[in-house]
Amino acid sequence: MNVGFIGLGLMGRPMALNLIRAGHSLRVWARRAEAMQPLLDAGAVAGASAADVAANVDVVITIVGDAPDVERVALGPDGIADGARPGLIHIDMSTISPEVTQSIAQQLRDRGVTMLDAPVSGGEPGAINATLTIMVGGDASAFECVKPLFEAMGKTISHIGGNGAGQVAKACNQIVTGVGVAAVAEALNFARKSGVDAGAVREVLMGGFAASRILDAHGGRMVQRNFKPGFKSWMHQKDMRIVLEEAHRLGLQLPTAAAAAQLYNAMVGSGLGEEDSVAMLKLFERMSGGEG
Amino acid sequence: MRVGFIGLGVMGRPMAEHLMQAGHTLGVWARRPESTAPLVEQGATAYATPAALAAACEVVITIITNSQDVEGVAFGEHGLAAGFARGAVHVDMSTIAPDAARDFARRYAEAGIDWVDAPVSGGEQAAVAGTLAIMAGANEAAFARVRPLFEAMGKTIVRVGEPGAGQVAKACNQMVMVCALQACAEAMHLARTHNVDLAAVRTALLGGSAASRVMEVMGERMVKRDFSAGIQARLHHKDFGILLDEAVKIGAPLPIAAQTWQQLNALMKQGWGYDDTSSLLKVLEAASGSKA
Repeated sequence: MNVGFIGLGLMGRPMALNLIRAGHSLRVWARRAEAMQPLLDAGAVAGASAADVAANVDVVITIVGDAPDVERVALGPDGIADGARPGLIHIDMSTISPEVTQSIAQQLRDRGVTMLDAPVSGGEPGAINATLTIMVGGDASAFECVKPLFEAMGKTISHIGGNGAGQVAKACNQIVTGVGVAAVAEALNFARKSGVDAGAVREVLMGGFAASRILDAHGGRMVQRNFKPGFKSWMHQKDMRIVLEEAHRLGLQLPTAAAAAQLYNAMVGSGLGEEDSVAMLKLFERMSGGEG
Repeated sequence: MRVGFIGLGVMGRPMAEHLMQAGHTLGVWARRPESTAPLVEQGATAYATPAALAAACEVVITIITNSQDVEGVAFGEHGLAAGFARGAVHVDMSTIAPDAARDFARRYAEAGIDWVDAPVSGGEQAAVAGTLAIMAGANEAAFARVRPLFEAMGKTIVRVGEPGAGQVAKACNQMVMVCALQACAEAMHLARTHNVDLAAVRTALLGGSAASRVMEVMGERMVKRDFSAGIQARLHHKDFGILLDEAVKIGAPLPIAAQTWQQLNALMKQGWGYDDTSSLLKVLEAASGSKA
Protein backbone atom coordinates (compact mmCIF):
# COMPACT_ATOMS: atom_id res chain seq x y z
CA MET A 1 0.00 0.00 0.00
CA ASN A 2 1.12 3.59 -0.56
CA VAL A 3 1.25 5.00 2.93
CA GLY A 4 2.03 8.46 4.24
CA PHE A 5 3.44 8.86 7.75
CA ILE A 6 3.58 12.09 9.75
CA GLY A 7 5.01 12.24 13.27
CA LEU A 8 8.31 10.39 13.57
CA GLY A 9 8.93 10.59 17.30
CA LEU A 10 9.56 7.98 19.96
CA MET A 11 6.48 6.00 18.86
CA GLY A 12 6.09 7.01 15.21
CA ARG A 13 9.57 6.10 14.03
CA PRO A 14 9.51 2.40 14.96
CA MET A 15 5.89 2.13 13.77
CA ALA A 16 6.83 3.54 10.37
CA LEU A 17 9.83 1.23 10.15
CA ASN A 18 7.55 -1.76 10.79
CA LEU A 19 5.34 -0.67 7.88
CA ILE A 20 8.37 -0.59 5.56
CA ARG A 21 9.41 -4.01 6.82
CA ALA A 22 5.94 -5.34 5.96
CA GLY A 23 6.48 -4.24 2.36
CA HIS A 24 4.56 -0.97 2.20
CA SER A 25 6.00 2.06 0.41
CA LEU A 26 6.26 5.04 2.66
CA ARG A 27 6.20 8.78 2.07
CA VAL A 28 7.06 10.70 5.25
CA TRP A 29 7.02 14.26 6.45
CA ALA A 30 8.21 15.92 9.63
CA ARG A 31 8.57 19.53 10.69
CA ARG A 32 12.19 18.83 11.62
CA ALA A 33 13.85 17.39 8.51
CA GLU A 34 16.42 15.41 10.55
CA ALA A 35 13.59 13.38 12.10
CA MET A 36 12.97 11.86 8.63
CA GLN A 37 16.53 10.63 8.12
CA PRO A 38 16.24 7.17 9.74
CA LEU A 39 13.19 6.49 7.57
CA LEU A 40 14.83 7.75 4.38
CA ASP A 41 17.77 5.44 5.16
CA ALA A 42 15.28 2.57 5.30
CA GLY A 43 13.84 3.44 1.89
CA ALA A 44 11.05 5.95 2.57
CA VAL A 45 10.53 9.00 0.36
CA ALA A 46 10.50 12.50 1.87
CA GLY A 47 7.40 14.58 1.23
CA ALA A 48 7.51 18.38 0.98
CA SER A 49 4.51 18.94 3.26
CA ALA A 50 1.55 17.13 4.79
CA ALA A 51 -0.45 18.11 1.68
CA ASP A 52 2.23 16.67 -0.59
CA VAL A 53 2.22 13.41 1.37
CA ALA A 54 -1.58 13.21 1.18
CA ALA A 55 -1.55 13.84 -2.58
CA ASN A 56 0.65 10.80 -3.24
CA VAL A 57 -0.75 8.05 -1.02
CA ASP A 58 -3.91 6.02 -0.34
CA VAL A 59 -3.63 6.20 3.42
CA VAL A 60 -1.95 8.78 5.62
CA ILE A 61 -1.07 8.06 9.26
CA THR A 62 -0.42 10.76 11.86
CA ILE A 63 0.91 10.35 15.39
CA VAL A 64 1.63 13.78 16.85
CA GLY A 65 1.40 15.63 20.18
CA ASP A 66 -2.02 16.97 21.00
CA ALA A 67 -5.31 18.07 19.46
CA PRO A 68 -4.04 21.40 18.04
CA ASP A 69 -1.22 19.52 16.27
CA VAL A 70 -3.68 17.08 14.69
CA GLU A 71 -5.94 19.96 13.64
CA ARG A 72 -3.03 21.81 12.08
CA VAL A 73 -1.66 18.86 10.16
CA ALA A 74 -5.11 17.69 9.01
CA LEU A 75 -6.95 20.92 8.30
CA GLY A 76 -4.35 23.72 8.40
CA PRO A 77 -2.60 25.32 5.43
CA ASP A 78 -0.62 22.73 3.42
CA GLY A 79 -2.36 20.12 5.55
CA ILE A 80 -3.73 16.73 4.63
CA ALA A 81 -7.11 18.02 3.44
CA ASP A 82 -5.36 20.49 1.09
CA GLY A 83 -3.61 17.68 -0.76
CA ALA A 84 -6.08 14.82 -0.39
CA ARG A 85 -7.25 12.80 -3.36
CA PRO A 86 -10.85 11.59 -3.22
CA GLY A 87 -11.14 8.47 -1.07
CA LEU A 88 -8.07 9.18 1.05
CA ILE A 89 -8.12 7.55 4.49
CA HIS A 90 -6.52 9.45 7.35
CA ILE A 91 -5.61 7.37 10.40
CA ASP A 92 -4.80 9.48 13.43
CA MET A 93 -2.93 7.45 16.04
CA SER A 94 -2.32 10.36 18.43
CA THR A 95 -4.08 10.49 21.78
CA ILE A 96 -6.49 13.42 21.74
CA SER A 97 -10.00 14.11 23.02
CA PRO A 98 -12.93 12.15 21.57
CA GLU A 99 -14.85 15.39 21.10
CA VAL A 100 -12.14 17.08 19.02
CA THR A 101 -11.67 13.86 17.04
CA GLN A 102 -15.33 13.87 16.04
CA SER A 103 -15.12 17.48 14.95
CA ILE A 104 -12.00 16.88 12.82
CA ALA A 105 -13.56 13.75 11.29
CA GLN A 106 -16.64 15.74 10.31
CA GLN A 107 -14.58 18.49 8.66
CA LEU A 108 -12.45 15.95 6.81
CA ARG A 109 -15.57 14.11 5.63
CA ASP A 110 -16.80 17.37 4.12
CA ARG A 111 -13.56 17.49 2.13
CA GLY A 112 -13.74 13.87 0.93
CA VAL A 113 -11.41 12.29 3.49
CA THR A 114 -12.38 9.35 5.72
CA MET A 115 -10.85 9.60 9.18
CA LEU A 116 -10.18 6.80 11.62
CA ASP A 117 -9.00 7.43 15.18
CA ALA A 118 -6.61 4.69 16.20
CA PRO A 119 -4.72 5.52 19.39
CA VAL A 120 -2.35 2.92 20.73
CA SER A 121 -1.22 1.40 23.99
CA GLY A 122 1.96 -0.52 24.68
CA GLY A 123 4.59 2.19 24.74
CA GLU A 124 7.90 2.31 22.92
CA PRO A 125 8.61 -1.44 23.34
CA GLY A 126 5.21 -2.21 21.79
CA ALA A 127 5.98 0.12 18.89
CA ILE A 128 9.39 -1.47 18.26
CA ASN A 129 8.16 -5.07 18.55
CA ALA A 130 4.95 -4.44 16.58
CA THR A 131 2.89 -5.61 19.54
CA LEU A 132 0.85 -2.44 20.10
CA THR A 133 -2.77 -2.52 21.15
CA ILE A 134 -4.70 -0.44 18.62
CA MET A 135 -8.21 0.81 19.35
CA VAL A 136 -10.05 2.11 16.34
CA GLY A 137 -13.03 4.39 15.82
CA GLY A 138 -14.64 5.29 12.52
CA ASP A 139 -16.13 3.74 9.40
CA ALA A 140 -16.03 -0.10 9.54
CA SER A 141 -15.21 -0.65 5.86
CA ALA A 142 -12.35 1.86 6.01
CA PHE A 143 -11.11 -0.10 9.03
CA GLU A 144 -11.18 -3.38 7.05
CA CYS A 145 -9.36 -1.68 4.21
CA VAL A 146 -6.41 -0.52 6.36
CA LYS A 147 -6.32 -3.49 8.74
CA PRO A 148 -3.12 -4.90 7.15
CA LEU A 149 -1.35 -1.69 8.19
CA PHE A 150 -2.51 -2.09 11.78
CA GLU A 151 -1.37 -5.73 11.69
CA ALA A 152 2.12 -4.59 10.72
CA MET A 153 2.31 -2.37 13.81
CA GLY A 154 0.27 -4.10 16.47
CA LYS A 155 -1.07 -7.32 17.90
CA THR A 156 -4.42 -6.58 19.55
CA ILE A 157 -6.47 -4.64 17.04
CA SER A 158 -10.10 -3.74 17.73
CA HIS A 159 -12.71 -1.71 15.95
CA ILE A 160 -14.63 -0.15 18.84
CA GLY A 161 -17.26 1.99 17.11
CA GLY A 162 -17.79 5.25 15.23
CA ASN A 163 -15.51 8.30 15.12
CA GLY A 164 -14.08 9.05 18.55
CA ALA A 165 -14.75 5.54 19.92
CA GLY A 166 -11.06 4.66 19.67
CA GLN A 167 -10.21 7.76 21.71
CA VAL A 168 -12.83 6.83 24.31
CA ALA A 169 -11.20 3.40 24.65
CA LYS A 170 -7.80 5.08 24.96
CA ALA A 171 -9.14 7.41 27.65
CA CYS A 172 -10.36 4.32 29.54
CA ASN A 173 -6.92 2.79 29.09
CA GLN A 174 -5.31 5.93 30.56
CA ILE A 175 -7.65 5.89 33.55
CA VAL A 176 -6.69 2.30 34.34
CA THR A 177 -2.96 2.75 33.70
CA GLY A 178 -2.77 6.22 35.30
CA VAL A 179 -4.44 5.05 38.47
CA GLY A 180 -2.63 1.70 38.28
CA VAL A 181 0.84 3.20 38.22
CA ALA A 182 -0.08 5.34 41.23
CA ALA A 183 -1.45 2.33 43.10
CA VAL A 184 1.65 0.23 42.41
CA ALA A 185 3.98 3.09 43.41
CA GLU A 186 1.98 3.61 46.59
CA ALA A 187 2.15 -0.09 47.48
CA LEU A 188 5.86 -0.44 46.79
CA ASN A 189 6.64 2.72 48.74
CA PHE A 190 4.51 1.39 51.60
CA ALA A 191 6.48 -1.88 51.57
CA ARG A 192 9.82 -0.14 51.61
CA LYS A 193 8.93 2.40 54.30
CA SER A 194 7.71 -0.53 56.39
CA GLY A 195 11.17 -2.03 56.14
CA VAL A 196 10.16 -4.78 53.72
CA ASP A 197 11.85 -5.62 50.40
CA ALA A 198 9.73 -4.10 47.61
CA GLY A 199 11.04 -6.59 45.03
CA ALA A 200 9.88 -9.52 47.10
CA VAL A 201 6.47 -7.95 47.63
CA ARG A 202 6.04 -7.37 43.92
CA GLU A 203 6.99 -10.94 43.19
CA VAL A 204 4.52 -12.50 45.60
CA LEU A 205 1.74 -10.13 44.54
CA MET A 206 2.19 -11.28 40.95
CA GLY A 207 0.85 -14.67 42.08
CA GLY A 208 -2.45 -13.30 43.39
CA PHE A 209 -5.36 -11.03 42.55
CA ALA A 210 -3.20 -7.91 42.57
CA ALA A 211 -1.26 -9.28 39.59
CA SER A 212 -1.39 -6.99 36.58
CA ARG A 213 0.61 -5.93 33.59
CA ILE A 214 1.39 -2.67 35.42
CA LEU A 215 2.59 -4.38 38.59
CA ASP A 216 4.73 -6.61 36.39
CA ALA A 217 6.28 -4.06 33.99
CA HIS A 218 6.03 -0.72 35.80
CA GLY A 219 6.47 -2.29 39.22
CA GLY A 220 9.57 -4.08 37.89
CA ARG A 221 11.10 -0.82 36.78
CA MET A 222 10.28 0.80 40.12
CA VAL A 223 12.09 -2.00 41.94
CA GLN A 224 15.09 -1.55 39.63
CA ARG A 225 14.78 2.23 40.02
CA ASN A 226 14.82 2.58 36.25
CA PHE A 227 13.01 5.85 35.60
CA LYS A 228 14.10 6.30 31.98
CA PRO A 229 11.16 6.92 29.58
CA GLY A 230 9.24 5.02 28.14
CA PHE A 231 6.21 7.05 28.59
CA LYS A 232 7.03 10.44 30.07
CA SER A 233 4.94 11.58 32.99
CA TRP A 234 4.00 14.87 31.31
CA MET A 235 2.36 12.78 28.59
CA HIS A 236 0.31 10.90 31.13
CA GLN A 237 -0.58 14.24 32.72
CA LYS A 238 -1.85 15.39 29.32
CA ASP A 239 -3.91 12.24 28.89
CA MET A 240 -5.47 12.59 32.35
CA ARG A 241 -6.38 16.14 31.45
CA ILE A 242 -8.26 14.85 28.39
CA VAL A 243 -10.09 12.32 30.57
CA LEU A 244 -11.13 14.92 33.14
CA GLU A 245 -12.16 17.48 30.54
CA GLU A 246 -14.49 14.88 29.06
CA ALA A 247 -15.83 14.09 32.55
CA HIS A 248 -16.45 17.82 33.07
CA ARG A 249 -18.28 18.05 29.75
CA LEU A 250 -20.39 14.95 30.33
CA GLY A 251 -21.08 15.50 34.04
CA LEU A 252 -19.30 12.34 35.13
CA GLN A 253 -17.77 11.66 38.49
CA LEU A 254 -14.24 10.23 38.17
CA PRO A 255 -12.93 10.59 41.72
CA THR A 256 -10.06 8.14 41.44
CA ALA A 257 -8.81 9.47 38.10
CA ALA A 258 -9.10 13.01 39.49
CA ALA A 259 -6.90 12.06 42.44
CA ALA A 260 -4.31 10.40 40.19
CA ALA A 261 -4.30 13.43 37.90
CA GLN A 262 -3.25 15.62 40.82
CA LEU A 263 -0.29 13.33 41.41
CA TYR A 264 0.81 13.75 37.78
CA ASN A 265 0.46 17.53 38.26
CA ALA A 266 2.75 17.23 41.28
CA MET A 267 5.28 15.21 39.25
CA VAL A 268 5.43 17.77 36.48
CA GLY A 269 5.49 20.67 38.93
CA SER A 270 8.37 19.15 40.87
CA GLY A 271 10.57 18.43 37.88
CA LEU A 272 9.75 14.77 37.19
CA GLY A 273 7.87 15.53 33.95
CA GLU A 274 10.57 14.21 31.63
CA GLU A 275 10.98 10.97 33.56
CA ASP A 276 8.90 7.86 33.03
CA SER A 277 5.58 7.69 34.84
CA VAL A 278 7.13 5.09 37.19
CA ALA A 279 8.93 8.06 38.80
CA MET A 280 5.62 8.38 40.66
CA LEU A 281 7.53 6.27 43.21
CA LYS A 282 9.95 9.16 43.76
CA LEU A 283 7.04 11.51 44.36
CA PHE A 284 5.68 9.23 47.09
CA GLU A 285 9.13 8.87 48.61
CA ARG A 286 9.42 12.65 48.86
CA MET A 287 5.92 13.04 50.22
CA SER A 288 6.66 10.50 52.93
CA GLY A 289 9.83 12.26 53.94
CA GLY A 290 12.65 10.43 52.30
CA GLU A 291 14.27 9.83 48.97
CA GLY A 292 15.50 6.98 46.86
CA MET B 1 -16.48 60.04 36.27
CA ARG B 2 -17.94 58.98 32.92
CA VAL B 3 -18.31 55.23 33.40
CA GLY B 4 -19.54 52.58 30.96
CA PHE B 5 -21.15 49.34 32.15
CA ILE B 6 -21.67 46.08 30.27
CA GLY B 7 -23.32 43.05 31.87
CA LEU B 8 -26.50 44.06 33.65
CA GLY B 9 -27.35 40.69 35.19
CA VAL B 10 -28.12 39.84 38.83
CA MET B 11 -24.68 41.10 39.87
CA GLY B 12 -24.10 43.88 37.34
CA ARG B 13 -27.37 45.74 37.70
CA PRO B 14 -27.12 46.60 41.42
CA MET B 15 -23.42 47.38 40.96
CA ALA B 16 -24.25 49.85 38.18
CA GLU B 17 -26.95 51.42 40.33
CA HIS B 18 -24.44 52.03 43.12
CA LEU B 19 -22.19 53.86 40.66
CA MET B 20 -25.04 56.18 39.67
CA GLN B 21 -25.96 56.76 43.30
CA ALA B 22 -22.34 57.75 43.96
CA GLY B 23 -22.72 60.47 41.34
CA HIS B 24 -20.99 58.93 38.33
CA THR B 25 -22.33 59.45 34.81
CA LEU B 26 -23.34 56.04 33.52
CA GLY B 27 -23.35 54.75 29.95
CA VAL B 28 -24.58 51.23 29.17
CA TRP B 29 -24.62 48.70 26.37
CA ALA B 30 -26.27 45.28 26.23
CA ARG B 31 -26.67 42.65 23.54
CA ARG B 32 -30.42 42.70 24.25
CA PRO B 33 -31.30 46.43 24.39
CA GLU B 34 -34.29 45.80 26.70
CA SER B 35 -31.93 44.84 29.53
CA THR B 36 -30.63 48.42 29.63
CA ALA B 37 -34.15 49.83 30.23
CA PRO B 38 -34.10 49.82 34.07
CA LEU B 39 -30.83 51.75 34.10
CA VAL B 40 -31.90 54.16 31.35
CA GLU B 41 -35.02 54.97 33.40
CA GLN B 42 -32.69 55.97 36.22
CA GLY B 43 -30.77 58.32 33.93
CA ALA B 44 -28.14 56.17 32.21
CA THR B 45 -27.43 56.61 28.50
CA ALA B 46 -27.62 53.56 26.21
CA TYR B 47 -25.11 53.19 23.36
CA ALA B 48 -25.41 51.19 20.13
CA THR B 49 -22.12 49.30 20.36
CA PRO B 50 -19.33 48.67 22.89
CA ALA B 51 -17.08 50.88 20.73
CA ALA B 52 -19.54 53.80 20.96
CA LEU B 53 -19.75 53.30 24.72
CA ALA B 54 -15.96 53.20 25.05
CA ALA B 55 -15.60 56.41 23.02
CA ALA B 56 -17.87 58.22 25.48
CA CYS B 57 -16.27 56.95 28.72
CA GLU B 58 -13.03 57.16 30.72
CA VAL B 59 -13.62 53.75 32.24
CA VAL B 60 -15.73 50.81 31.07
CA ILE B 61 -16.69 48.03 33.49
CA THR B 62 -17.66 44.58 32.24
CA ILE B 63 -19.11 41.72 34.26
CA ILE B 64 -20.06 38.89 31.91
CA THR B 65 -19.79 35.12 31.65
CA ASN B 66 -16.45 33.89 30.39
CA SER B 67 -13.14 34.67 28.64
CA GLN B 68 -14.66 34.34 25.16
CA ASP B 69 -17.41 36.83 25.97
CA VAL B 70 -14.91 39.31 27.39
CA GLU B 71 -12.68 38.90 24.34
CA GLY B 72 -15.65 39.46 22.02
CA VAL B 73 -16.78 42.62 23.80
CA ALA B 74 -13.23 43.97 24.03
CA PHE B 75 -11.62 43.01 20.73
CA GLY B 76 -14.49 41.85 18.49
CA GLU B 77 -16.16 43.91 15.81
CA HIS B 78 -17.25 47.30 17.23
CA GLY B 79 -15.55 46.21 20.44
CA LEU B 80 -14.33 48.41 23.26
CA ALA B 81 -10.78 48.54 21.91
CA ALA B 82 -12.06 50.20 18.74
CA GLY B 83 -13.60 53.05 20.74
CA PHE B 84 -11.27 53.69 23.69
CA ALA B 85 -9.13 56.84 23.70
CA ARG B 86 -5.52 56.43 24.89
CA GLY B 87 -5.43 56.42 28.67
CA ALA B 88 -8.86 54.83 29.07
CA VAL B 89 -9.33 51.86 31.41
CA HIS B 90 -11.19 48.57 30.91
CA VAL B 91 -12.17 47.16 34.30
CA ASP B 92 -13.28 43.54 33.90
CA MET B 93 -15.11 42.20 36.95
CA SER B 94 -16.02 38.84 35.36
CA THR B 95 -14.43 35.61 36.56
CA ILE B 96 -12.11 34.41 33.79
CA ALA B 97 -8.80 32.55 33.48
CA PRO B 98 -5.71 34.45 34.75
CA ASP B 99 -3.95 33.72 31.44
CA ALA B 100 -6.77 35.34 29.48
CA ALA B 101 -6.65 38.44 31.71
CA ARG B 102 -2.88 38.77 31.18
CA ASP B 103 -3.33 38.37 27.45
CA PHE B 104 -6.00 41.10 27.28
CA ALA B 105 -3.83 43.43 29.39
CA ARG B 106 -0.93 42.97 26.94
CA ARG B 107 -3.10 43.66 23.91
CA TYR B 108 -4.55 46.82 25.45
CA ALA B 109 -1.12 48.03 26.57
CA GLU B 110 0.00 48.18 22.94
CA ALA B 111 -2.73 50.76 22.34
CA GLY B 112 -1.99 52.74 25.51
CA ILE B 113 -5.10 51.48 27.29
CA ASP B 114 -5.07 50.18 30.87
CA TRP B 115 -6.60 46.90 31.99
CA VAL B 116 -7.81 46.04 35.47
CA ASP B 117 -9.10 42.57 36.34
CA ALA B 118 -11.29 42.92 39.39
CA PRO B 119 -13.42 39.85 40.07
CA VAL B 120 -15.72 39.99 43.06
CA SER B 121 -16.93 37.77 45.87
CA GLY B 122 -20.04 38.05 48.00
CA GLY B 123 -22.81 37.17 45.58
CA GLU B 124 -26.01 39.02 44.75
CA GLN B 125 -26.59 39.99 48.38
CA ALA B 126 -23.29 41.88 48.61
CA ALA B 127 -23.78 43.43 45.17
CA VAL B 128 -27.11 44.88 46.34
CA ALA B 129 -25.69 46.02 49.68
CA GLY B 130 -22.58 47.50 48.05
CA THR B 131 -20.34 45.34 50.23
CA LEU B 132 -18.56 43.17 47.66
CA ALA B 133 -15.02 41.91 48.14
CA ILE B 134 -13.07 43.16 45.12
CA MET B 135 -9.70 41.64 44.24
CA ALA B 136 -7.80 43.59 41.61
CA GLY B 137 -4.92 42.91 39.25
CA ALA B 138 -3.63 46.16 37.78
CA ASN B 139 -0.72 48.55 37.66
CA GLU B 140 -0.78 50.91 40.62
CA ALA B 141 -1.72 54.04 38.69
CA ALA B 142 -4.71 52.43 36.97
CA PHE B 143 -5.85 50.92 40.26
CA ALA B 144 -5.69 54.34 41.97
CA ARG B 145 -7.81 55.88 39.22
CA VAL B 146 -10.63 53.34 39.44
CA ARG B 147 -10.53 52.88 43.20
CA PRO B 148 -13.38 55.40 43.80
CA LEU B 149 -15.59 53.26 41.57
CA PHE B 150 -14.71 50.14 43.58
CA GLU B 151 -15.52 52.01 46.79
CA ALA B 152 -19.03 52.68 45.49
CA MET B 153 -19.62 48.94 44.94
CA GLY B 154 -17.59 47.12 47.56
CA LYS B 155 -16.18 47.08 51.05
CA THR B 156 -13.01 44.99 50.99
CA ILE B 157 -10.92 46.29 48.11
CA VAL B 158 -7.47 44.82 47.58
CA ARG B 159 -4.95 45.29 44.82
CA VAL B 160 -3.44 41.83 44.71
CA GLY B 161 -0.80 42.56 42.08
CA GLU B 162 -0.28 43.12 38.37
CA PRO B 163 -2.90 42.19 35.71
CA GLY B 164 -4.06 38.58 36.17
CA ALA B 165 -3.40 38.63 39.92
CA GLY B 166 -7.03 39.49 40.66
CA GLN B 167 -8.16 36.39 38.79
CA VAL B 168 -5.62 34.25 40.66
CA ALA B 169 -7.09 35.51 43.95
CA LYS B 170 -10.60 34.79 42.65
CA ALA B 171 -9.58 31.24 41.71
CA CYS B 172 -8.27 30.80 45.27
CA ASN B 173 -11.54 32.22 46.59
CA GLN B 174 -13.66 29.81 44.53
CA MET B 175 -11.50 26.87 45.53
CA VAL B 176 -11.72 27.59 49.26
CA MET B 177 -15.39 28.44 49.16
CA VAL B 178 -16.69 25.47 47.19
CA CYS B 179 -14.40 22.99 48.98
CA ALA B 180 -15.74 24.39 52.27
CA LEU B 181 -19.23 24.00 50.89
CA GLN B 182 -18.50 20.35 50.12
CA ALA B 183 -17.17 19.85 53.65
CA CYS B 184 -20.27 21.52 55.03
CA ALA B 185 -22.50 19.25 52.90
CA GLU B 186 -20.64 16.17 54.16
CA ALA B 187 -21.08 17.32 57.76
CA MET B 188 -24.82 17.88 57.25
CA HIS B 189 -25.11 14.52 55.52
CA LEU B 190 -23.29 12.80 58.37
CA ALA B 191 -25.54 14.46 60.94
CA ARG B 192 -28.66 13.44 59.09
CA THR B 193 -27.48 9.85 58.69
CA HIS B 194 -27.28 9.78 62.49
CA ASN B 195 -30.78 11.27 62.72
CA VAL B 196 -29.40 14.32 64.51
CA ASP B 197 -31.08 17.72 64.08
CA LEU B 198 -29.21 19.61 61.36
CA ALA B 199 -30.17 23.06 62.57
CA ALA B 200 -28.80 22.28 66.02
CA VAL B 201 -25.54 20.94 64.58
CA ARG B 202 -25.13 24.06 62.47
CA THR B 203 -25.79 26.35 65.43
CA ALA B 204 -23.32 24.46 67.59
CA LEU B 205 -20.63 24.49 64.90
CA LEU B 206 -21.04 28.22 64.29
CA GLY B 207 -19.87 28.82 67.84
CA GLY B 208 -16.61 26.92 67.41
CA SER B 209 -13.57 26.47 65.20
CA ALA B 210 -15.62 25.08 62.29
CA ALA B 211 -17.53 28.35 62.01
CA SER B 212 -17.41 29.94 58.57
CA ARG B 213 -19.39 32.14 56.26
CA VAL B 214 -20.18 29.07 54.17
CA MET B 215 -21.48 27.17 57.19
CA GLU B 216 -23.59 30.18 58.07
CA VAL B 217 -25.14 30.97 54.67
CA MET B 218 -25.02 27.72 52.67
CA GLY B 219 -25.41 25.63 55.81
CA GLU B 220 -28.70 27.36 56.44
CA ARG B 221 -29.87 26.59 52.92
CA MET B 222 -29.05 22.93 53.52
CA VAL B 223 -30.93 22.92 56.83
CA LYS B 224 -33.97 24.51 55.20
CA ARG B 225 -33.52 22.44 52.05
CA ASP B 226 -33.86 25.64 50.06
CA PHE B 227 -31.67 24.99 47.05
CA SER B 228 -33.25 27.53 44.71
CA ALA B 229 -31.67 30.82 45.78
CA GLY B 230 -28.06 31.97 45.71
CA ILE B 231 -25.28 31.21 43.25
CA GLN B 232 -26.03 28.92 40.33
CA ALA B 233 -23.91 25.79 40.69
CA ARG B 234 -23.13 25.70 36.95
CA LEU B 235 -21.00 28.82 37.45
CA HIS B 236 -18.92 27.12 40.12
CA HIS B 237 -18.66 24.08 37.85
CA LYS B 238 -17.29 26.35 35.13
CA ASP B 239 -14.85 27.93 37.60
CA PHE B 240 -13.56 24.52 38.67
CA GLY B 241 -12.97 23.55 35.04
CA ILE B 242 -10.76 26.65 34.67
CA LEU B 243 -9.08 26.11 38.02
CA LEU B 244 -8.09 22.49 37.44
CA ASP B 245 -6.98 23.27 33.91
CA GLU B 246 -4.63 25.94 35.28
CA ALA B 247 -3.37 23.39 37.81
CA VAL B 248 -2.32 21.14 34.91
CA LYS B 249 -0.50 24.01 33.21
CA ILE B 250 1.49 24.98 36.27
CA GLY B 251 1.94 21.47 37.65
CA ALA B 252 0.16 22.05 40.94
CA PRO B 253 -1.55 19.20 42.78
CA LEU B 254 -4.99 20.22 44.08
CA PRO B 255 -6.31 16.96 45.56
CA ILE B 256 -9.34 18.31 47.44
CA ALA B 257 -10.38 20.70 44.68
CA ALA B 258 -10.18 17.81 42.21
CA GLN B 259 -12.56 15.73 44.33
CA THR B 260 -14.96 18.64 44.73
CA TRP B 261 -14.86 19.09 40.95
CA GLN B 262 -16.07 15.52 40.53
CA GLN B 263 -18.97 16.17 42.92
CA LEU B 264 -19.85 19.24 40.83
CA ASN B 265 -19.78 17.06 37.69
CA ALA B 266 -22.30 14.74 39.33
CA LEU B 267 -24.43 17.74 40.34
CA MET B 268 -24.53 18.92 36.73
CA LYS B 269 -25.48 15.46 35.51
CA GLN B 270 -28.42 15.47 37.95
CA GLY B 271 -29.66 18.65 36.28
CA TRP B 272 -29.18 20.91 39.30
CA GLY B 273 -26.85 23.38 37.56
CA TYR B 274 -29.30 26.26 37.89
CA ASP B 275 -29.83 25.63 41.62
CA ASP B 276 -27.58 26.86 44.40
CA THR B 277 -24.31 25.01 44.96
CA SER B 278 -25.60 23.86 48.36
CA SER B 279 -27.18 21.14 46.16
CA LEU B 280 -23.87 19.33 46.73
CA LEU B 281 -25.74 17.89 49.74
CA LYS B 282 -28.20 16.23 47.35
CA VAL B 283 -25.30 14.67 45.39
CA LEU B 284 -24.19 12.93 48.59
CA GLU B 285 -27.74 11.83 49.32
CA ALA B 286 -28.12 10.43 45.81
CA ALA B 287 -24.87 8.50 46.18
CA SER B 288 -25.95 6.93 49.45
CA GLY B 289 -29.44 6.18 48.23
CA SER B 290 -31.16 8.44 50.75
CA LYS B 291 -33.45 11.38 50.20
CA ALA B 292 -35.21 13.90 52.39
